[in-house]
Amino acid sequence: MMHVAEMPWLWAGLAFYAVATVLAFRGAWQLSPAYVHNPVQLLKTERLVLAAIVLGVVLLAIALGVRWERLGHGPFVNLFELLTSQLFSLGLIYALVYWRRPVIRPSAVVVLPLIWVLGTWVLMLEPKDSVFPPTYSNNWLWAHVGFGKVFLSFCLIAAGLAGLILLRSIPRFRGLFTSLSDAVLDQLAWRFMLLALIFDSLMLIAGAVWAQDAWGRYWSWDALETSSFMTWLSIGAGIHARLTYKIPVKVGAVVILLIFGLAFMTYFGTPYYSEAAHKGVV
Amino acid sequence: MITVLSRLASIRLTLVGMVALAIGAGLSYDNPAETSVWVLAAPLALLSLNLFAAILTNPRINRRPGLFVFHVGLLLICVFAAIGRLTLFEGRVEMSQGAVFDVQSVADVKQGPWHNGRLDEVVFVQGPWTVSYQPGLKRGPTRSHVSVPDGRGGWREKVVGDDKPLIIDGYRFYTTFNKGFAVIVSWIPIDGEAMTGTIHMPSYPLFDYKQDNRWTTPGGNELKLWLRVETGLNRDKAWVLDGSKATGVLVVNSGNERVELGEGESMELPGGRLRFEQLSTWMGYKIFYDPTLRWLFISAIVAVFGLAYHYWRKMAQQPWVPGDHRGEKESRS
Ligand code: HEM
Repeated sequence: MMHVAEMPWLWAGLAFYAVATVLAFRGAWQLSPAYVHNPVQLLKTERLVLAAIVLGVVLLAIALGVRWERLGHGPFVNLFELLTSQLFSLGLIYALVYWRRPVIRPSAVVVLPLIWVLGTWVLMLEPKDSVFPPTYSNNWLWAHVGFGKVFLSFCLIAAGLAGLILLRSIPRFRGLFTSLSDAVLDQLAWRFMLLALIFDSLMLIAGAVWAQDAWGRYWSWDALETSSFMTWLSIGAGIHARLTYKIPVKVGAVVILLIFGLAFMTYFGTPYYSEAAHKGVV
Repeated sequence: MITVLSRLASIRLTLVGMVALAIGAGLSYDNPAETSVWVLAAPLALLSLNLFAAILTNPRINRRPGLFVFHVGLLLICVFAAIGRLTLFEGRVEMSQGAVFDVQSVADVKQGPWHNGRLDEVVFVQGPWTVSYQPGLKRGPTRSHVSVPDGRGGWREKVVGDDKPLIIDGYRFYTTFNKGFAVIVSWIPIDGEAMTGTIHMPSYPLFDYKQDNRWTTPGGNELKLWLRVETGLNRDKAWVLDGSKATGVLVVNSGNERVELGEGESMELPGGRLRFEQLSTWMGYKIFYDPTLRWLFISAIVAVFGLAYHYWRKMAQQPWVPGDHRGEKESRS
């Protein structure tokens, strides 16, 4: 592993995410029927979860800042940078929603381990220096990346809520994690999917404008474009399927997790599969 | 008529269309050039018809302003994208420094059947350019100077680049990695009028080891031309490729004879004299024309606003309160 200045900050940030994950499970246990339910205790745990995520976010921001300073450009180019920056933004947006919408808090037992998938992955990568392509000096990059971050975060929250529905369908965990009914969880999850669709659409629009500037075409079905279109379409199809056929809540939850999987593949699988994420990059 | 329309508006058909479109997109994945356009065009046409019918007949869309605007926006995107394909123009052109754009030299043309733009009326003059490189020969920004008519009989200079196209009459000219050196040579025949022309060498620095070309003199001699160019190229350091700072020697092979010409020098050949006037440059542009770009953008933005409004209305009706049981009854609306 290369020793570069940002690594200790990255490790520290991930350590706090790990603390948050452990605390989130403690919160889930405090909700369980086996435990004498004590709302004050639970609230305390939830505050600690929030504090740990926020600390993690701050440390990751420092890691990104140190690297930015060192290389002279933002974390937009290689997989190490994409993962680190997503770890930061997923944590940040999740912390905001966690804070403002207590109703989604039980989702932390699914969301934080999912964030940790990225955390484990980034630890296995070399923090190689990257070179900023000429086409990236474009303001639409900010809009594209920014909307994309919000999109993936909302998708993650939907996946977290869907994960709860499925976890609770295991007899051992029935009634665990939250007092909300499956139907309310389902409704909440699809709300987040609708929000995700809005930001996904904005991401695609900003990306198309940028592509027109950068490569002289707004859309050409390259690997990443196709994959992100499939993700967008699958959200639309999921929402429509749910409206057209009254699909059971659990099937809906599986659909949400599949959509999240597709979004995940688009972000982290496609750049992995072809060095130049977008063909025109070089 | 009404029943046909309402059948066409079926939201089950929407799902069929979406699945077909996903399959089409999957087939286009990463090899769009070899895949038939119909794998995308047919599902999109089906979805557009379906959507059009639903917008007209289904009150669940047309009575809810946000959803209505969103779906109309989607339909417009399909319509504009189709018009865009039909009116499209794409091509490439190599512009010698000092030359005026000439429609005859446009190559690799791809154009839609409805294209009726006026590329032949486009006027601009290519000036000098620079390209910055980072260590490892990673290409950075290109700055290409061009002059365009200012409409008052004079010229206005513009600097364009890879992501800042020159836009004239809707035609967008993007600089590309394909650019290089050119030699300006004169042929001075023993009798008759002298003529001057430009010969382009292969792309630089991509083919820095192979800066050669062939030219047959009006006297019938086939010449092998090789340009030994000095640009300060350095793979390990940041570097700027600047044609105005480069120097070159033109090595001319004619039969067994080999002559090195500096700028302004000449050599005798059967039937006349060849003079290497000057080292020059050329820039390769990609040309793109699609009159629907602005309308596509506006439709997409309007569609997203519609969807956001719909979401907001929905939220106002059913805020997310824990255990909000109103939501359970109505959750699928
Ligand atoms: C192409 C043909 C399409 C038709 C005929 C169609 C039709 C409809 C109809 C009738 C509704 C209202 C359903 C109800 O409330 O019961 C609706 C809602 C909706 N549609 Fe479409 N639609 C089409 C395409 C799309 C696409 C491509 C997307 C996005 C990718 C999309 C996203 C939505 C959304 C987000 C809603 C609102 C869902 C909600 O409020 O929860 N639609 N559509």
